[in-house]
Amino acid sequence: MATKNFTMLAQNNNNNYVLQACLAAMSIHTTNKDVSICLISNDPVPSKYKMLFDHIVDIPWGDHAEHEDWKISNRWKIYHAIPYNETVVIDTDMLVLQDISVWFDFLQNYDLFYTSKVYTYRGDIIYDETYRKAFHKFDLPNLYSGFHYFKKSDLAHEFYTWLEMITNNWQQFYKAHAGGKIYQNVCSMDVSAAIAAKIMNIENKIINPNVKYPSFTHMKSRIQDWETYVSERWQDRVEPYLSNDLTLKIGNFTQTGIFHYTEKDFVNDEIIHAYEKHLGIS
Amino acid sequence: MSKGVLLFAFNNESLNYVKQANYLASRIKKYMNLPTSIVTDTDVEKEYASFDEVIKLDSVSMQNRRKYNDGSFHNRLLNFRNSGRETSYDLSPYSETIVMDTDFIICNDKLLNAFSSSSDFQCYKSSSHVGHKNSIPEFNRISDTSVEFYWATVLFFRKTPINKIFFDLVKHIKENYMHYRNVYQFKNTMYRNDFAFSIAIHIMNGFQKGDFATELPGNNLFSLDKDVLVDINEDVLQILVEKENRLGEYTGVKVSGSNIHIMNKFSLERVIDGN
Repeated sequence: MATKNFTMLAQNNNNNYVLQACLAAMSIHTTNKDVSICLISNDPVPSKYKMLFDHIVDIPWGDHAEHEDWKISNRWKIYHAIPYNETVVIDTDMLVLQDISVWFDFLQNYDLFYTSKVYTYRGDIIYDETYRKAFHKFDLPNLYSGFHYFKKSDLAHEFYTWLEMITNNWQQFYKAHAGGKIYQNVCSMDVSAAIAAKIMNIENKIINPNVKYPSFTHMKSRIQDWETYVSERWQDRVEPYLSNDLTLKIGNFTQTGIFHYTEKDFVNDEIIHAYEKHLGIS
Repeated sequence: MSKGVLLFAFNNESLNYVKQANYLASRIKKYMNLPTSIVTDTDVEKEYASFDEVIKLDSVSMQNRRKYNDGSFHNRLLNFRNSGRETSYDLSPYSETIVMDTDFIICNDKLLNAFSSSSDFQCYKSSSHVGHKNSIPEFNRISDTSVEFYWATVLFFRKTPINKIFFDLVKHIKENYMHYRNVYQFKNTMYRNDFAFSIAIHIMNGFQKGDFATELPGNNLFSLDKDVLVDINEDVLQILVEKENRLGEYTGVKVSGSNIHIMNKFSLERVIDGN
């Protein structure tokens, strides 16, 4: 049985990413047994939620994202900050809706693994490139950093070293490898990780297009295969419903796996209280 | 295990579905060598001798108006009496049944392979227009945000406890159709078997993608009601297919050896009548 370690990095801005991480941790504890969760953050964690985490770790070497609205410049530090030899890394705006033990078993085959296949809420593979034009145009590996895995290894260490370099000099790297600001005018972890993978020529070692999972449901509005576009907010088209037993339905579809809700206002008191009630948190 | 085909035929003020069913039954006998039973509220005339069994119902009242096109320039608003499909399980005299629309034209025996499949419920999800239309959104999903579209045009089922539950579920959806219309986000208030079956399949799959319904053998070829069936000669059909965005302009298409769903029922009846 593989060790089931989860890591998230959260930095609040106008949005409360720490609260998102707490909700994600509640979802992990609801569906997965014998897990360890690490939160990397400099922001305070509400005392009632501290028990959700086995480790709460400061972001090392200062805050490189201090002047950013979208704080991602510290993400490369995850490799160095974790107290684990291996971990799954997920975005904070995710819910883990099922036992994913078998995913961890699968990930033992890799030193570094990125999901490269994500799904709509209806369970269809997303082919739409609306949000990743640079990937197609510049032949970047189609990876998603929202769910990835690494074990402490030479490969992962070198990869994260490249990620540090790319993140700190993203304008230059994006210009050379991803079409520059025409395609991506802010630093993106997906683009940065894809560039690192391309430079290292390790695409075949870190993604596997032949497997359905590990993966996640990606709720960005424009990639749901809808004929009609209404807004960036997917809840304007389909409603979320969380039942008493914490089964999540989006529109007519029961959700399983990992749900990447993307819209911050998905998190509300009703959802938080439902998980708190289930876990006996007060 | 008894095998056969079940047809539902409820005439309206203009279209004779029993006549269509009789024509289809003769083709089923010819190409598939299967018996056909008909469910109807019409006294089936002696001239319609193709049926293995006539299951006569009391007059079925259903107000379900829809526009029937006959090519691009003619249409009529008629009563769409599409009731009964949900009772297939209860009414079929066979333990293994293929249910068909009466406007389905059998030209080969490929559907016989359904009987040798281990799947207890089969229908078409994929489909191809006989002409140029590659993708018609309304045949992909029942609404933009909702579930996949399954065709109720042709169904195969065995009489199993699970299928009993399934058909009871379709009945429930039909009885509460306006509720399911709201929940599944489609606008049209007219009852559609395709929609009720699509919703039921989705529920049987646990509100996810699943394999409760597997794909029937063969291709699900169709012509729209703005296309015009011109002739049927044995297994060769000639159809005028309306050109895309060219109202009233047609392309002649000849199809050989393929089963086809002819949605223009006026033209089908003209061909059956030999006009």
